[in-house]
Amino acid sequence: MELVLTALGLILAGGLVPLPMQRWSTGARATHIALLAAGCLTGMIGLFLTWNQEAISAFSCTWLQVLPLALALDSLTAVFLLPVFLLAPIVALYGYQYLDRDVSPWQTGAHQLCFSLLIAAMVLVTLADNLFAFALAWELMSLASYLLVLYDHEHEESRRAATLYLLFTQAGALMIFAAFGLLFQATGSFTFAQWGQAPHAVKLTAFFLALVGFGSKAGVMPLHIWLPHAHPAAPSHVSALMSGVMIKMGVYGLLRLYFLLDEPAPVLARTVLGLGMISGVLGVAYALGKHDIKRLLAYHSIENIGIILIGCGLGMLGIASHNPAMTAFGFAGGLLHVLNHALFKSLLFMGAGAIIQKTGCRHLDQLGGLMRRMPVTGRTFLTGSVAIAGLPPLNGFVSELLIYCAAFQGVRLQGPDALLAMAAILALALIGGLASACFTKVVGIVFLGEPRRPLSSPIAESGLSMRAAMIVLALACVLIGLWPEPFIRMALHGLRDLVAPAAGSPDPLGSLPENLALATRMFLAVFLLLAACRHLVYRNKPVTQGATWGCGFTRPTARIQYTGTSYAREVVEFHQPFVKIRTVHKPITKIFPGLTHYASTVEDRAEIGLHRLLVAPILRVADKLRWIQHGHIQLYIGYIVLTIAVLLLVV
Amino acid sequence: MESVLSFGLALVLAPLFPGIILKVKALFAGKQGPPLLIKYWTLAKLLRKGSVYSTSTSFVFRLGPLVACATAIAALLFFPFAGKAPLVSFHGDVIVLFYLLGLGRFFTIAAALDTGSPFEGMGAAREAFFGTLAEAAIFAVLILFFRLNGSLILAGYFTGNQPIAIAGPQGALLILAVVALFMLLLAENSRVPVDDPATHLELTMIHEVMILDHSGPDLALIELGAFYKLFLYAALIASLLKPAGLAGPFAGTLAFYALMAVVYVAIGITESLTARLKMNMVPKYILTSFALVFFAIILTVEIA
Repeated sequence: MELVLTALGLILAGGLVPLPMQRWSTGARATHIALLAAGCLTGMIGLFLTWNQEAISAFSCTWLQVLPLALALDSLTAVFLLPVFLLAPIVALYGYQYLDRDVSPWQTGAHQLCFSLLIAAMVLVTLADNLFAFALAWELMSLASYLLVLYDHEHEESRRAATLYLLFTQAGALMIFAAFGLLFQATGSFTFAQWGQAPHAVKLTAFFLALVGFGSKAGVMPLHIWLPHAHPAAPSHVSALMSGVMIKMGVYGLLRLYFLLDEPAPVLARTVLGLGMISGVLGVAYALGKHDIKRLLAYHSIENIGIILIGCGLGMLGIASHNPAMTAFGFAGGLLHVLNHALFKSLLFMGAGAIIQKTGCRHLDQLGGLMRRMPVTGRTFLTGSVAIAGLPPLNGFVSELLIYCAAFQGVRLQGPDALLAMAAILALALIGGLASACFTKVVGIVFLGEPRRPLSSPIAESGLSMRAAMIVLALACVLIGLWPEPFIRMALHGLRDLVAPAAGSPDPLGSLPENLALATRMFLAVFLLLAACRHLVYRNKPVTQGATWGCGFTRPTARIQYTGTSYAREVVEFHQPFVKIRTVHKPITKIFPGLTHYASTVEDRAEIGLHRLLVAPILRVADKLRWIQHGHIQLYIGYIVLTIAVLLLVV
Repeated sequence: MESVLSFGLALVLAPLFPGIILKVKALFAGKQGPPLLIKYWTLAKLLRKGSVYSTSTSFVFRLGPLVACATAIAALLFFPFAGKAPLVSFHGDVIVLFYLLGLGRFFTIAAALDTGSPFEGMGAAREAFFGTLAEAAIFAVLILFFRLNGSLILAGYFTGNQPIAIAGPQGALLILAVVALFMLLLAENSRVPVDDPATHLELTMIHEVMILDHSGPDLALIELGAFYKLFLYAALIASLLKPAGLAGPFAGTLAFYALMAVVYVAIGITESLTARLKMNMVPKYILTSFALVFFAIILTVEIA
C-alpha cells in the first residue's frame, strides 16, 4: 500500500514538476514521462508485492478535519489497477511526439498536469473504500478527463464534444451519488463495508441508479452518446487512455457495488447481461456504419464494454445460481477482457492518431495503401485488429473463450437464465463475426490497396516514440495470446477477496488455460511449418510483379476501389431498424444524366431518441422561462433574497 | 499413433473428395467429366508454377493463403476422424476451431482488399457478411449439441457413452441439425446455391473472386485450405450420420469415408439440381438454417 501511495505521489509530481520547465519543451516532456513511468513502475511493484497477501492493506486519513478518507487495496482493485499502471507510461510516451510542438507552453503544461491528475484519479477511484474518497476521486477523474478532451479548445467541435461529455459524466455522477445517498440513509455509514446490511429494496434501487451512472461512464448502449463525440475530439493518446482505461472505471464501480451489496438476486445479473448484449451487438453494428476512424473505434469501445458486461453478467448469474464454474469463467473472462481491451484499444487509437497526424485525414474512404508507407503503424494496427476481432492466437480470443465457457455453463440452467445464456452465446458469435468484418474494413480500406486520393506529399512513418509505444502494446497482445495461463489466473485472482471459493472444487477453470496455450502454440507450429514449406516451394520460382487484374477493364483507377461505405453497406442494412441509415441521392432520370451525387450516413438511434425525448422538451420549457433572465441585477438580488426567505420560512 | 495416422489419412484424402463432386456434376450433365484425381493434378500443376504479384499488394496478400491453409489444417487437429481420438482435444476446443476458421477468413478478406480491385472488394464484403451470419448459425448448432450431450469437446460429441448420432435416441431431432449443417456447409464453402465455384462472371462470385489475383503455390495453398475446410464440415455431417456399433479400426474408418463420399455426392447432386440464389436471398438462406437449429434447440427444452 505504501508503494502504491508513493506511486501516486510520483504520478502527481509528473504533472507538477514539468510546469515551471515549459520553456524547455523537450526537458518538460521527458520529465513528465520519466516521473510517470517511475510512478507506475513503483505502483506495479507495490501490486505484485501485495498480490499474494491474504490481508487487505488499507490506509485512512481525515481531510479538512471532518471528511474521513479511506483507501484499501484488495484483489479486485489490483486487477483494475494493473491496466492503469501498465498503460499510463506507454500512452505518455506516445504523447511525447504526438502533441504539437507549436502550441503555447502553458497549454502543454496544463495538458500534462491534467494527464497526471487523470491517472492519479483513476488510481484513487479503484482504491477508494468509503463514500468521500470515491466521490472525490470520481469527480477529479471526470474533470481531469473533461479538460483533456478540451485540448483543442479552439475548435468549436471539440468544445461541443467536451461539454456533452461533462453533461453526461455529471448526470451520471448525480445518479451514483443518489445511490450512495440511499445506501447511507439505510445503513448510516460512509464506509463501503457496511453497505451490505441495507434492506433488499434499497439495495436494488441503489444498484439500478448506480447502473445508470456507471453505465454512462462505461458507455453502455443507450447511455453511450458522449463516447463517439468525445473520442474523435480528444488528442489520440487521450482517447487511448480514456477508452483503454478510464471507461473501465465504470465497470469497476459497477462490480464493486455489486460485491458490496452482496445481493444475489438474479434480476441484477439479467439486467447486466442484457445490457451487455445490446451494447455488444449494436456497438459493432454502428461501428461498421461509421467511417471516421476514431468514431469507429469509439463505437468499438462500446462493443467491448458489452463483451465485458456479458462476462460479468454471466458471472453474476453464476453467483445467483450457485454455479462456481460459471462464476469463475464469467468474471475471469470479463476481467481479463478489461486488460485485453485496454491493450488493443489503446494500440488502435495510437495507430489512428499516427494516421491522422501523417495524412491529416480521418475519413476511411479517403485513405488507402498506408501499409507500404507506414510499415510499423500498419503491422501493429493489424495486430490490434486481429486481437480486437477476438481471433486466435491473440489476447482478445483468450477472454472471449472464457466468456463462451461461462455461457455454455449457463445453458445447463433452468428457465429464463438458460435462454439468456444461449442468447449470450449467439450475441458473442455475432459480435465476433461483425468485429472481424469491421476490422477487415478498417485494415483493408486504410492500410491496403492504393491511396484513394492523390497524396500531396509522400507519407512518412510516425516518430520513434510513437512507434515504440505501438510496438510494445502489439507485443503485449501477442504475449497474452501465446502465454495465457498467468493472465487467466491473474484475472481469476481478482475474485479472491470477493467470492468465497466453493468447497471441494480446487480449480474452477480446470486445465483450460494450459490447453488453450497448447492449442495456440500448435496452430503457430502448423503456421510456421507451412510458411517454411511455402518458402521452400518458392525457391528458384519466377516471381514477377504486375498490375492488379482488372477483370478485362484496362483503365482502372484508385477511385474504383471498394470503399468502407460500400463494404459495410449490406451488413449495416441488415441491422435496420435498430440502425438508421440516411441516404442523400439524386437518382438518374434522363437518358443523358447530369452530375449526380450519393451520400449516406448512419445515425445513432439513441442520439435521436435523446434529442427527441429529453433535449427538445427541456429546450421548449427553457424557452418559455426565458423571461426570468432579463439582465436586471437588482431583480436577481431580489430572487436571492426571496429564495432565502422562503427557505428560512419553510425548512 | 492411431490419431496421427487418421490425421495424416485425412490430410492426404481431402483433395480426393472434391473430385467426386465434379464427377457427379458431369454425370448429371451427361459428360464423362475429369478424372477423380483431378484436384491432385491441379495442386501439382500450381506448385510447379511461379507467381505474379500485383504492385498494389503488401505482405498481407502473401500472408492470406498461408493463414487460410494453416487455420484449416489446425482445425483438423481437433477432429475425431472415424471416432479415433484426435491429436488435440480439450473442453472448449470447438470454439477454438471455429474461431481459427474465422482467422482464416479475416486474412483471406484482407488479402482480397489488398489488391485494390473493386471486384475482390465486392467478394470480400459478401464473405464478411455471410460469414458472420453463418458463424452465428454454427454456434446455434454448438448450443444444440451441448444440450444433447453436455460436452464442449468436438471429440466428446461423437465418442463416449452418449454420442450424438442420428441412430441414437435423439435422431429425429438431429435430422434438423444435419439439414442445417448441410446448408451451412454449402454456404461456408462457397458452393451452389450461395456461390458457384465454376462461374466465370466476377460480379456474381464470392470466394473465387477474392482469390483472383493469387497464382502459383499461393493459389495451391488456398485450394488446399478450401479442401480441408470442406472436408471438416463434411466430416462433421458424416460423424452425425455414422451408425453405432461399427467396431474394428478398418470397418469404422471404411464406413466413415464411405459416408464422406455420400456427403460429397449429395453436394454434387445439390449443385446439379439447384440454381444460385440471388445475393440478397443468401442471408435468408443462412437464417433458414439458423431457424432449423433453433427449432431443434426448442425441442430439447421440451424434452428436458
